[in-house]
Amino acid sequence: MGDLLFELGVEEVPAHSVADILVQLRNQFHAKLSQYLVPYRDIDKAATHRRFMIYITGIPDRTQPRPETILGPAKRSALDERGHPTLALKKFVQFNKVKMNEVVEIQTPKGLYMGIERINEGEKSDQIMRSIIPEILAAITFPKTMIWNDSRVPFIRPIRHLLVLFNNRPLEIEFAGVKSSNRSTGHLLLSDGYFEVKSFKDYIQYLNKNFVVLKENERRQKILADVHDIEEDLDGRVAIDEPLLEYYIYSNEYPVVFNGRFNVKYLTLPPEVISTFMIQEKKLMPVFAADGKMLNAFVGVSSIPDENNKVRQGNERVIQATFEDAQFFWDMDGKEDFFSLRQNLKNVMFQKDLGSYYEKSERLLSLIELLVRETGNDALLDPLLKAASHCKNDLLTRMVREFPSLQGIIGGLYLKERNEPEAVWKAIYGHYQPKGFVGEKLDDLGSGLLSICDRIDSIAGLISRGIKITGSKDPYGIRRDANAIIKIVIDFRLNFNLQTLIDVAAANFSKKDAELKKIRLTLGDLFHVRIENNFREILKFRYDVVQAVMSGSGSDGSLNVYEIFLRAEAVANMVESPHIDALMALHRRLKNIIKDAGSHPFSESLLQDKEEKILFDVFRESKERIGDHIRQHEYLLASSDFLEMKQVIDQFFDKVLVMVKDDDLRCNRLALLQRIDELLSQIANFSIIVEINSGGKS
Amino acid sequence: MSLQAVVLKLQEFWAERGCYISSGYDTEVGAGTMTPDTFFRVLGPKPYKVAYWQPSRRPDDGRYAQNPNRVQKHNQFQVILKPIPSDGQLLYLDSLIYLGVDVRIHDIKFDEDNWASPSLGAWGVGWQVMCDGVEITQFTYFQQAGGIELNPNSLEITYGIERLAMFLDSRNNLFELEWGNQISYAELKTEEERQFSIYNFEFADIESLRRLFSHYQKEAERLVTGGLYLPAFDYVLKCSHTFNILDARKAISVAERTNLMAVMRGLSHRIAEKYVQPAGGKANG
Repeated sequence: MGDLLFELGVEEVPAHSVADILVQLRNQFHAKLSQYLVPYRDIDKAATHRRFMIYITGIPDRTQPRPETILGPAKRSALDERGHPTLALKKFVQFNKVKMNEVVEIQTPKGLYMGIERINEGEKSDQIMRSIIPEILAAITFPKTMIWNDSRVPFIRPIRHLLVLFNNRPLEIEFAGVKSSNRSTGHLLLSDGYFEVKSFKDYIQYLNKNFVVLKENERRQKILADVHDIEEDLDGRVAIDEPLLEYYIYSNEYPVVFNGRFNVKYLTLPPEVISTFMIQEKKLMPVFAADGKMLNAFVGVSSIPDENNKVRQGNERVIQATFEDAQFFWDMDGKEDFFSLRQNLKNVMFQKDLGSYYEKSERLLSLIELLVRETGNDALLDPLLKAASHCKNDLLTRMVREFPSLQGIIGGLYLKERNEPEAVWKAIYGHYQPKGFVGEKLDDLGSGLLSICDRIDSIAGLISRGIKITGSKDPYGIRRDANAIIKIVIDFRLNFNLQTLIDVAAANFSKKDAELKKIRLTLGDLFHVRIENNFREILKFRYDVVQAVMSGSGSDGSLNVYEIFLRAEAVANMVESPHIDALMALHRRLKNIIKDAGSHPFSESLLQDKEEKILFDVFRESKERIGDHIRQHEYLLASSDFLEMKQVIDQFFDKVLVMVKDDDLRCNRLALLQRIDELLSQIANFSIIVEINSGGKS
Repeated sequence: MSLQAVVLKLQEFWAERGCYISSGYDTEVGAGTMTPDTFFRVLGPKPYKVAYWQPSRRPDDGRYAQNPNRVQKHNQFQVILKPIPSDGQLLYLDSLIYLGVDVRIHDIKFDEDNWASPSLGAWGVGWQVMCDGVEITQFTYFQQAGGIELNPNSLEITYGIERLAMFLDSRNNLFELEWGNQISYAELKTEEERQFSIYNFEFADIESLRRLFSHYQKEAERLVTGGLYLPAFDYVLKCSHTFNILDARKAISVAERTNLMAVMRGLSHRIAEKYVQPAGGKANG
């Protein structure tokens, strides 16, 4: 049994691509080995931004011997009339390097052929490796490629070495003009240069000695452990930004955490600004005291041990310059009259064909007014009108031009600085949040309301211009915006009909009835799909529960997201309770009999039998009460009250024949049952809840 | 180490490695890449090695001489190696060692930074080289220039001279640098930075600049149509600088930016095509 050690040595690959390339490599090796019938025990893989390592063990020297049939010429053209071999057969024998007496007759669906049947002794694994490795490398895909030599093979960065050892012997291959060898190298700055690898063990030892921590997880652990030590030294908490941690792991072969200090005078800048400049501009992490206040310290990751404090000092110098920039932007922007920036938004395009940001802010005014009233937050009207007018002004600040991720935040902070009321600046500050259905809950209702209006305006505008979301394609983030709206509605328990807001938003982009109808329909569908999706995937509601509360929802043209959520929550509780079986049975029975019934008027005077009269009396008496419960979102009470009718409904079904010949009578009975069904369906369509065996869960 | 010592050392280093040493260009450019010694040399099949010192103007980076790390005119040292050598990274590290950097005690990182100049129709793949957190060099494998696919490709190494000198001299503030022979950076540059910052941010006349842009554009078009692609390129550079001042004045809307970029890109492309295949002449480069 043998092993293959493969290392692709490259110039620094962008950190965000490393993990993906490694997975592709591993999968390609697996696929090719399977294709060529090469068994193996195990594949190990590891990568840094300068090397991709694959180590495969348990590879036989040859692939399994297997029976093999080689067809020659058909018998009638292989032998002449006297039974002697023809030229065709002689050539076949010669070509396959066998003797004439090894040729046998082979029966095929096409008739009798001459040929050879033998045991193939298997192919040599090293030969297979030689042919598949270039294929594997050629099959890897990258987000962006480059060309660097005459081979003109596109790759992510130049390839500098190919280490290929099979059973500790170098295997000759070539890819992109680079010939394989038995050489590898360590850390770019700290290693002793290239060395010859004799075995896997040798390779690992050399890397260890030459400042390469090969395994991703070991680098992660090393960084986290170092950060923890520094937290103790600084008596603070390092805000570990996950994307930044990933960046450290995949851009350092030998990560060493260091820390530094900066002048406290920069702490007068808002912490949001300091963090953004640190993280995005300098890839350094901020540090906070126990009380949450920012400290004048930073933490970073170096690729070498910093025994001489050079790395620390250099970073201390550079962060000061960075904060000087931040201070410059902050001061320059501060000199401008923030409110008058709004006029200049006329020159800033929102989206192609959707006008300027100025026009957007105008549209936001009518939307916010409607939403504030619909959700009963009239006290917020004035501050939110002001916030809506000016929420896009910060797009014209230097700070946001430099760091677009600060949009909203900066506008809020400038207004806070100018002592604007909290209700105004906070609304602007948070109106790009949350980023989707997951993420932090907003802490300010006003920012939630403004966020809803901003996003519904964007969605309506894009859809009115024919932008479609299909499959994974959603370049304008329409889904993300819809998800965020749903989240805000649920987080702030906003009990209102989203459809009225959609209608006004859509009307801003089209005045034609047919077009408007189409936009409304597309938006309605979008939200239904988003609600279903988030409820199932993120809130983990059962599939059938979501279906049950969504079915029929919106049939009256309304879309109350919060109410749908509450019903889903209630039904999710009910399916865990013993009542559910009765509700399901009852609703199925109702649905079964009224399906395909068409709609019918109901008349009390047509009631005949005792049981149907009782049922009507009980229904009339309960209807009001159950309806009240539903209006107050007391779905558990509503359904248990409904269940109190079970006995009279059962008696009705037992004693009264619905499908009688008499049309009037039949239709009247169906009409009564339809009204009962309508009431129950206001909670959910229990008939589609899936039965679960006692004791089991789905 | 003084700023001029850095330049002299780099000139020496790259001259020894086969570069011809050129001067910076005498029209305002935003970066060494825009100099004809780069823009034209990277086109076509002929190998070139060139190095030069290029003062570069970024009006928006002006800070009235008040920022320790940013100026509206900084100095670049530009190296073009065509075709790309297989040991480009090591050559580069050697140049740092030649400047006196102990590469074993500094955190030198090649950090993804794909360079693109939309107005020149040029892009490349590469890194910014960070040294203890300071960006000291842009290291780029050119893929396209003037909208033309390059073959062979070139390696571009652009050193930020001020950043490098600050690093070598452990300075916090570039105005504290020595330019050379006891003359300080502050003495030579403070007033220049102050005046140009005022001009770029406050004083530049937007309407005049718009007119200038359009004049330069027309002249470039006329020249390139007449086959005079070298003077035409000068006028594209003037367009680019005018655009940058307008941008510093915040006078360019998003839509306008796209349009003006497209104008410059179109001109660069026509110029590059003329260079690669001049009418009636033999192929250049």
